[in-house]
Amino acid sequence: MRVTGELVHADREGLRAARPEEEGGDAGALPRYWPLLLVGAAVVPGTLLFLVGRWGDAPAVQAWRTVALAVTVQALPFLLLGTALSGAINAFVPERVFRRMLPRRPVLAVPVAGVAGVVLPGCECASVPVADSLIGRGVTPAAAFAFLLSAPAVNPVVLTATAIAFPGNPAMVLARLLASLATAVAMGWLWLRFGRTEWLRPAVRHTGHQSGHSRLDEFRTGFRHDFLHAGGFLVLGAMAAATFNVAVPRSVLATFTGTPWLSVLFLAALAVLLAVCSEADAFLAASLTGFPPVARLAFMVVGPMVDLKLIALQAGTFGRAFAVRFSAATLVVAVACSALVGGALL
Amino acid sequence: MKRTLQSGLLVLCGLGLLRISLVTDLCLRYVKESMRPLLIVSGCVLVLLGIVSAVLDRKRHDQEYDGHGHDHSRVPRVAWLLLLPAVSLLCYAPPALGAYTASRQPPEAIAHQGGFGPLPAVSPLPMTLSDFTSRVRQDRAGAVKGRTILMTGIVTPHGKGGWDLTRIIISCCAADAQSVKVRVYGGPVPPADTWVAVTGTWHPGGTLGTGSAAVALDARTVEKVPRPVNGYQDALPLPTTRTR
Repeated sequence: MRVTGELVHADREGLRAARPEEEGGDAGALPRYWPLLLVGAAVVPGTLLFLVGRWGDAPAVQAWRTVALAVTVQALPFLLLGTALSGAINAFVPERVFRRMLPRRPVLAVPVAGVAGVVLPGCECASVPVADSLIGRGVTPAAAFAFLLSAPAVNPVVLTATAIAFPGNPAMVLARLLASLATAVAMGWLWLRFGRTEWLRPAVRHTGHQSGHSRLDEFRTGFRHDFLHAGGFLVLGAMAAATFNVAVPRSVLATFTGTPWLSVLFLAALAVLLAVCSEADAFLAASLTGFPPVARLAFMVVGPMVDLKLIALQAGTFGRAFAVRFSAATLVVAVACSALVGGALL
Repeated sequence: MKRTLQSGLLVLCGLGLLRISLVTDLCLRYVKESMRPLLIVSGCVLVLLGIVSAVLDRKRHDQEYDGHGHDHSRVPRVAWLLLLPAVSLLCYAPPALGAYTASRQPPEAIAHQGGFGPLPAVSPLPMTLSDFTSRVRQDRAGAVKGRTILMTGIVTPHGKGGWDLTRIIISCCAADAQSVKVRVYGGPVPPADTWVAVTGTWHPGGTLGTGSAAVALDARTVEKVPRPVNGYQDALPLPTTRTR
């Protein structure tokens, strides 16, 4: 935990330096340079692969396109559900509803919001826009982030999938539930202690219902805006994930199965790079039979909280300053929580 | 991005999804069959939303939306990236994963199976690749010994001039693909990525029923078969090799 604090502190300096440029840009538009960087990170390896493909390895390009498209197609319905929900929250749900549902004190609101993640059935793409509109409706950011992290990992669909993937091993399901909740709540509290509101890009915050506008019209425009916005970042993340998926052969895994420490870190890193949907990662984890159970738990706890497409989605929704800090801290906390819970239960 | 273009992009994405899920079976190259209803619903929602938005925007052309903090009419340029999958789905859908992916993956680990029943007394005996692997590696009774077995899958050539009969299995989408492989001995190597039906007997190697046993087949016949509609599953070969 101390390490995370220092990390966040150190990043603050970097933020101050970067700040003026960000404010110089249009409030609605993103700073000019960084989407280009992200696009570069996602597209350049793909383009290289494509060029390599011209010389006789064309199946690699086809596999890249198939995987990128598969991640996008798989995530689109859930993204649509998330943006529809967020548009509906924004236009139809008055702020007092959330004030009544969540405890007044943020410290207590965080765990309540974490447990409330159970109600959003879907994968991680749906939870980003929903968390964004929750913040817009006056929910304290810490609670919204606890919800953002826990929803894709603890909902019934995902837990059922985990139980099916690990038959006769209920401890794994319990460990996943506990470690995910612990990470979500810890990150919420960390945000209360160290988080800065200015890391969140203010322009994207939803304003809620404005008097004088039709609610349906607000819903429609908000929905369209959020979907296009998040969809673009989803495609970006999918391309980056496909690049790693195709460039790193799965047989590399075998080299890391020996040492338990290394295998936990390695599978956590793999979860970030592969960006597998949270409803499917249990099956993948179950197939990584060479790894100790704790490493496989880390794979399932990190995957729904930090991965390439999520980082891209968060950067698009909350701003880059937030996405970098939040994902790095979440990764550390998630690995620590799964090591602790896994060590105790598995 | 202009609002008309935004609506157009939504319609394109929706049409792309509808094309692969409702009009054709292309979505099975990327996701599981169970995703199909969700894709159809999403496609319809996107097309409807796009059309309704375009019509409504035209109606209130003069009512501008600026003046409050969250301006929904401006969408960053990153949204243009959605054009790539939309166009790809509409007119340039990439093929299903095949030999290239399988050749770069270790064979999928077979879950430990408790007891094995007797094999049905037909010849050739249709089997799935996973079933064959667990029989060879775990069935102490060695029931597959001497039996003629029929399996279908794709051809994955490997470096040493031989090939593996392969099935690629997905648990959610093509990003989590895993492969089951059975090495095939005898006969020429068919071209990569062809779907074939192979009959043959277990290729002796190691001790049958233990981890040392070779997951391999001595091929008697190798026949080309049409690609099944849903290629990403380890299904039994159909009674007639003609699947569609």
